[in-house]
Amino acid sequence: MSPVAAPFLEVKHVSKSYFEAGKEFKVLETVGFELAERDFVCIVGPSGCGKSTLLRIIVGLDTPTAGSVRFEGKPLVPENPQVAMVFQSFALFPWLTVEQNVELGLEARHDPPERRHAQARKFIDAVGLAGFENAFPRELSGGMKQRVGIARALAVEPLLLCMDEPFSSLDALTAQSLRDEILQLWSTPDLPPKAVLMVTHSIEEAVYMADRVIVLSNRPGRVVAELEIDLPRPRNRKEPEFFGWVDEIYSLIV
Amino acid sequence: MDKTADADGSGRPRMDLHSITKVSFSQVVALARAVDEHGGQADVARIAEDVEMELDGIGPIVAAAEFLGVVTVEDGDLRLTDFGRKLIKASVKERKAMLREFMKDLPVFRYVIQLIETSARPASRKDVIDALAVHFGSHSAEDLFRALVYWGRASELIAYDSRSELLTLRTPGVPMPPAH
Repeated sequence: MSPVAAPFLEVKHVSKSYFEAGKEFKVLETVGFELAERDFVCIVGPSGCGKSTLLRIIVGLDTPTAGSVRFEGKPLVPENPQVAMVFQSFALFPWLTVEQNVELGLEARHDPPERRHAQARKFIDAVGLAGFENAFPRELSGGMKQRVGIARALAVEPLLLCMDEPFSSLDALTAQSLRDEILQLWSTPDLPPKAVLMVTHSIEEAVYMADRVIVLSNRPGRVVAELEIDLPRPRNRKEPEFFGWVDEIYSLIV
Repeated sequence: MDKTADADGSGRPRMDLHSITKVSFSQVVALARAVDEHGGQADVARIAEDVEMELDGIGPIVAAAEFLGVVTVEDGDLRLTDFGRKLIKASVKERKAMLREFMKDLPVFRYVIQLIETSARPASRKDVIDALAVHFGSHSAEDLFRALVYWGRASELIAYDSRSELLTLRTPGVPMPPAH
């Protein structure tokens, strides 16, 4: 009998508490879900529900108080190169050029410089930043800074791409453009991630982007629903079916 | 659209980049998408509400989209052009090529490309700003330069190194040597 394949990502009974002066503050309570290959999943929830903490636990930047995160059946190790993160704050180094910022993630891999350059170029190109290779972050708009963040994350060829509110510090139009470009990249089969997990506080954004939406409750965050968004792509935010999903998720949160 | 018209009647060439100095290409593409979601035509106030922007915030983006030939504007109504429709369907790379086709014929780009080609060396920031001031008026030369660098990079027509402050020509699709 062949063994049942382990899920691509398994988040099992994850709880997180902070302790202060002997008092416990629960942030997450027995959160569990699974991700399969080719899943694009968004986690939504009210602010302070612990969704960013959950993502940080999944990528190994934080540890759970209880529970586990398994990646293809194995516990996740910190600085797991199979997982890459895109941050809300972009997290770029101001003294490095676009290309150097993208290459930074590759340095740990000890690739020869030519291979690093080629890899960085490939993903700078993919996010539409060709022409800006030698620009410094101060010369870039917020949208372009986040493109650098996305190129840097993709360049390490992660199996799982995690994004923490990646568009929330951008103006609405730039954010929409980036959402469409991420979906365009996602539909390109030869680009690395096998699954995308994105945290957002915007229900519309989640319905626009995800195949599946995981809804967290108020603090402490618990999974209150998992919804398959079966709308065809590209999705039109003006259609009643779209609003139907948005309304349904709103009603689960408030 | 006549991109070289003497629009203000001053005898100076039209400041062709002027309407796109404070706008990014992605904002223009997203505006086109928003109009498309309304079936290709919508009132500007409606779009502003959709994208959660004030009218004075969306104004420059509408002006830029009109200048780039992505939408037409009439009595506050935005209408997506064929070019705009093509733009939103295109891949990121194809969009750059479409932008390049448009930009290379703008007088500002023609002028700067000629400047670099004839002198057969990179042009300095100072030289270009001075030239822009002479041709297009000094009050907006800095803004125009910033726009030239942004749209020049976005369309891969021009490369700029902010450390050496030098502008060079760029062959699209051919990467520049890495900076170190």
